[in-house]
Amino acid sequence: MDIVVAVKQVPDTSEVVDVVEIDGSGKDIERGTLVSRINEWDEYALEEALQWKQKLGGTVTAVTVGPGEWDDTLRRALAMGADRAIRVDEDATVIDCSAAARTLAALIGRLPHDLVMFGAQSEDFGSAQLGPMVAEMLGIPHAALVVRLQVEEGEAHVERELEGGARDLYTLRLPALLTIQTGINRPRYVSFSSVRKAREKELSVMSLDELGLPPQALTPAVELARLELAPAGKGAVLISGAAEEAAARLATILREAGVI
Amino acid sequence: MAEILVVAEHRDGKPADVSLEMLSTGRRLADQAGCGLLAVVVTSDVSAFAPRLARWADSVLAVKTGKPEHSLAEPYQKALASVIRERKPNLVLLGHSSFAMDLAPALAVDVGAPLATDCTNIAMENGAITVTRSIYNGKVNALYSFAPCETVILTGRPGVFPVEEGRGKGIVEEIDLPVHEEAEYKRFEGCSEPEASEVDITKADVLVAVGRGVKEKGNLQLAEDLARALGGVLACSRPVVDYGWLPSGHQVGLSGKTVRPRLYLALGISGAFQHMVGLRGSKMIVAINKDEKAPIFTDADYGIVGDVLEIVPVLTKHILEPRR
Amino acid sequence: MALTEYRYSDVIHRCFRCGYCKFPTSFIEVNNCPAYARYRLESYSTGGRLWLIRAWLNDELDWSEHLGEIVYSCAACKNCAEQCPLPFSDDIVDMIVAAKGAMVERGSVPSAVKEFLENVDRQGNPYGTARSKRGEWMEGTGIQEYDGQEFLYYVGCVGSYDTRAQQVARALGRVLQKGGVSFGVLGDRENCDGNDVGKLGEEGLFEALAEENIRQFKDLGVSKIVTLSPHAFNAIKNDYPRLDGTFEVRHYSQLLRDLVRAGKLDVSSGFKAKVTYHDPCFLGRWNAEYEAPRDVLRAVPGVELVEMERHRADALCCGGGGGNFYTDFLGGSEDSPSRIRVRDACATGASIVATACPNCLTMLEDAVKAEGLDDRLKVMDISEIVGEACQARGS
Repeated sequence: MDIVVAVKQVPDTSEVVDVVEIDGSGKDIERGTLVSRINEWDEYALEEALQWKQKLGGTVTAVTVGPGEWDDTLRRALAMGADRAIRVDEDATVIDCSAAARTLAALIGRLPHDLVMFGAQSEDFGSAQLGPMVAEMLGIPHAALVVRLQVEEGEAHVERELEGGARDLYTLRLPALLTIQTGINRPRYVSFSSVRKAREKELSVMSLDELGLPPQALTPAVELARLELAPAGKGAVLISGAAEEAAARLATILREAGVI
Repeated sequence: MAEILVVAEHRDGKPADVSLEMLSTGRRLADQAGCGLLAVVVTSDVSAFAPRLARWADSVLAVKTGKPEHSLAEPYQKALASVIRERKPNLVLLGHSSFAMDLAPALAVDVGAPLATDCTNIAMENGAITVTRSIYNGKVNALYSFAPCETVILTGRPGVFPVEEGRGKGIVEEIDLPVHEEAEYKRFEGCSEPEASEVDITKADVLVAVGRGVKEKGNLQLAEDLARALGGVLACSRPVVDYGWLPSGHQVGLSGKTVRPRLYLALGISGAFQHMVGLRGSKMIVAINKDEKAPIFTDADYGIVGDVLEIVPVLTKHILEPRR
Repeated sequence: MALTEYRYSDVIHRCFRCGYCKFPTSFIEVNNCPAYARYRLESYSTGGRLWLIRAWLNDELDWSEHLGEIVYSCAACKNCAEQCPLPFSDDIVDMIVAAKGAMVERGSVPSAVKEFLENVDRQGNPYGTARSKRGEWMEGTGIQEYDGQEFLYYVGCVGSYDTRAQQVARALGRVLQKGGVSFGVLGDRENCDGNDVGKLGEEGLFEALAEENIRQFKDLGVSKIVTLSPHAFNAIKNDYPRLDGTFEVRHYSQLLRDLVRAGKLDVSSGFKAKVTYHDPCFLGRWNAEYEAPRDVLRAVPGVELVEMERHRADALCCGGGGGNFYTDFLGGSEDSPSRIRVRDACATGASIVATACPNCLTMLEDAVKAEGLDDRLKVMDISEIVGEACQARGS
């Protein structure tokens, strides 16, 4: 079975990060001090693909549309066990979802694909659009937010996550595209030395030209006007002081409010 | 603007809350633009929904299906694509639900319309739509506009847009599903309800919720001690369940439970909307988080910026031994 | 890695389960192995662990989170190496580390270990806190960045980021200043020393960290290093040389002893308390340094030094080694080694248990709280005790 997994690399802007700033252009964040890594959802998608390769045999190809730095994530995918990786060289910050989808659809269309997997959304922009768009462009069935997958005899049995923890069950005929939700599996650890060894695996870079896509294919229909910092903590009354003081004050507040 | 179209979702015989939010938003924009509002719903029981939707929409298109409600997105997509191509609405609105995540992007490609998802604000000026999206863990807002086109599709974040009861009386039109229900390439096999758990967090008065910020499973003990001191129950955000630290019955949020306790104490939870949506009904929300920029501080009533692992044991102590 | 490729394949089956690995020399307790103390199951003792490792490498046992947790619950304290009567006893902890290495290569490690390692890789510390915050502990201390001074004061991850350990990092800095020592720190340029990364079996990452540190130290012209943590002391002293990084490195207790003996540090204000000293594994059993910390304590007027029944080479590990201060495989029970250890300390009648390691400090402090001994026992680092003793009278 041939599986293609689309991945991306994102800056870490979670709680541990120092500060997020808007850069001079007003259309991007300052990336200087930010550490970047594989998008969390994509890690789950890769792990799922690799587990199915282990069970049923076949190949796993990791693909992305992005700049040179994103080779790190492709190398990580190779270190996890993907057989090869392909990057379409493009500045990810200037293209919108439909442009990325067109590019990926053009690429994936040329690769053998029984199963195509995307992470359900990305940590940076969180649009949750790419997967189903690519499926529609490829003309294959899809299911988004998959939390459970069983593949057998040319069919994918999936559970889609709904609000409140309920699930819908579907059977899709392959080739099909799935967007993968977190928690579907436990992604493996990638050791430092396995990343080094993965340098021997194939990582190729393509241009839009080679895919037969004219530059106009990337003109965004959804245009970014500007970025602004979200207003911080306006709502909460912040209790200041060291742990002892703050905790004591909070206990008093809770008592006075009658909640305890 | 010619017309605004709202896709109404429903489940278990009730319209989805987010659909009412989108109808209210659609109504507001339609009034602003001086155009009509069309609601589209695919249902086997027209009389159950259509009249209610007609309070907001000038017209309701009830697409009749013979199948029970939960079904494939594909017939919806085909029905909507056909309506959109025929009526050419300038704006199509859906709630950013699991269903819309499956449907909207494919629909956008089908009809060739630009799509912006999970919008936290939708505005219109001189007929041009602009939207706001929350990105980078809720720390940055992105403002978008659209290249001139016939139709724009948007999905709105649940729980953000206010519901204003509709007072209108639109007309309801029933049509048959224009396509075959089944798709041979995809079969609906049924649905499953969330697994029952021994703990029913929806009944608790006090919830102590843990997130990624508690760092590792061993630290749950601190939270449990606090919960016990407060007479409450342990809850959590999604990552805690993904890591296997707590069973899914404890999860609060979009894919978990909705709770309305007297006190919701969030420890090491950043405040991502998928989580916050599950606790908006709480009487008091208190957050402890190391990151002063964490979105949770916008929704909380009180907050402490600090290390959960340091503060929680001290808090437990003060709860158990009030100072004289 | 199959059993045949495992470095110790010719000896691993030779453990005949005598159980000595669980005891201290005096046999007064049967739980001197921190993991065995916690779980009381053979799997968690060294002997049991070795047999499980052998079975896993030989494909008789499948990997599971539980197996991973059993292997990773080893705190690398070396009690077993100290007690094992067999000729390969010196290698025992390395055998477990090699098994962890095999798990790392397969990508099958417990989630907490995965997080630890990924955090170190990305942000240079296991907590995953931003690199840029690593120097925040220094604010207001007047401590200088390293720029050719005699000593590099290497702080380490726990001392840089853990709020309690930061107090110790500052206390030691002040003591060094009082002693007239010429030193500087790396602040947010400092990176993880890699000791615990190596003990978690991620040899590739350890080497990358060590090589980077060695390059940085050499570029800055560093020749003498004093470390806050025995973990860093161990890595730099024993593991950096084979990567071409040889430095004159001391644990701070060794430097303080020299300063006190040379009269450069005036501890005459004293510190009146009954103190018991907890030997950190990476200073004690790993590097045979039992005396320097004691010499320092004995030099402080007013300190009455008492010993716990198990001390020096028999000390019970606090359970924080092998990444456990983060992954916490040994916590959550009154049988957790850190809780047993503070009970040991209490039994001496001491009011203070002194530590020389920031990991031990945080582990024991949490244990004191968990045991409800806050009003009877205080945990202080030696640098804090010396710091008190250095205060000029009346200040």
